[in-house]
Amino acid sequence: MSTINFAAREINCKIVYYGPGMSGKTTNLKHVFSKVPGHLRGEMVSLATEDERTLFFDFLPLDLGTVQGFKTRFHLYTVPGQVFYNASRKLILRGVDGIVFVADSAPNRLRANAESMRNLRENLQEHGIDVRDVPIVLQINKRDLPDALPTAMIRSVIDPKGELQLFEAMSDKGVGVFETLKTVSRLVLERLSQNK
Amino acid sequence: MIEPSLALYGDAFERVDQVIQDLLETTGVRYGLLVDRKGFVLSHKEALWAPRPPALDSVATLVASNAAATAALANMLGERTFSEQIHQGENGTLYVESVGTDSLLTLIFDASVPLGKVKLYAKKSITQIAAILEELKDIPPVQLGEDFSQGANALLDDLLG
Repeated sequence: MSTINFAAREINCKIVYYGPGMSGKTTNLKHVFSKVPGHLRGEMVSLATEDERTLFFDFLPLDLGTVQGFKTRFHLYTVPGQVFYNASRKLILRGVDGIVFVADSAPNRLRANAESMRNLRENLQEHGIDVRDVPIVLQINKRDLPDALPTAMIRSVIDPKGELQLFEAMSDKGVGVFETLKTVSRLVLERLSQNK
Repeated sequence: MIEPSLALYGDAFERVDQVIQDLLETTGVRYGLLVDRKGFVLSHKEALWAPRPPALDSVATLVASNAAATAALANMLGERTFSEQIHQGENGTLYVESVGTDSLLTLIFDASVPLGKVKLYAKKSITQIAAILEELKDIPPVQLGEDFSQGANALLDDLLG
């Protein structure tokens, strides 16, 4: 449930980029940061190690504007993808309103994609959330890899029932980044207006 | 819903604002924020003489994440919670204390302000804020209709193309 601050007339929604290590979660945020005009976004905060691996999270606030008198804002977060940072990932999922799952197209990351999705489901469950209750959008990234696996094969291990909206992306070139973010934002706003 | 969400309404919002304002005036604290556990700013006040504050969104996010990490540590060590966090630098101090289960009072002040004094007065303010927040628990959730969704989608198109 998004935080609604009535007196300041603000609505804040939290969107989390999830997925295996090095799949391009931070790259997605960096692209958004670089393309959105300065007055519509805040500073990007990155808690990363020296070799630029996310240690805790990246954070980017985006201002959508004013809707019916409510200043509406999205807070974008990434989680650390590396397996051993699960405690941090769990914390960042607190209060999540929407999730972008960023999968890697490399053949040797197929299993990591599957494990990360399983980890997401487990972590949501630990917070008492059914995975079907949170809007999730699938982004299959790094489509320009020469040996990229077919999207159908990647989907079959992370979303075998084909329930999630899927976007192909090359986040380092900005391809598919905004489409993914727009879709998850729309789903979050729809839920908000349905008062779920 | 993982974390309780807070909705601060008109009168309650003003009262919380006033409590933080009084605390700032009594203690000489530079910035006072009420932050929810998800990292959103619910209310903020700054002393008249204070320079422009740092990005409050970032401060709130880091404070809430830090509190979440500290709480996870507390659980691992068999404590129910570590209710306060103090970070002291050469020139200033960041003091964070839980207000009930839903929010965090965050105070930023110069090294010239005694920590003991801030802690003493902050405890009193926290009791007052907690009582106001408690009153809000029974308020029905905000209803946003179809118009909201349409208006927001139009803005999304503008922002993200």
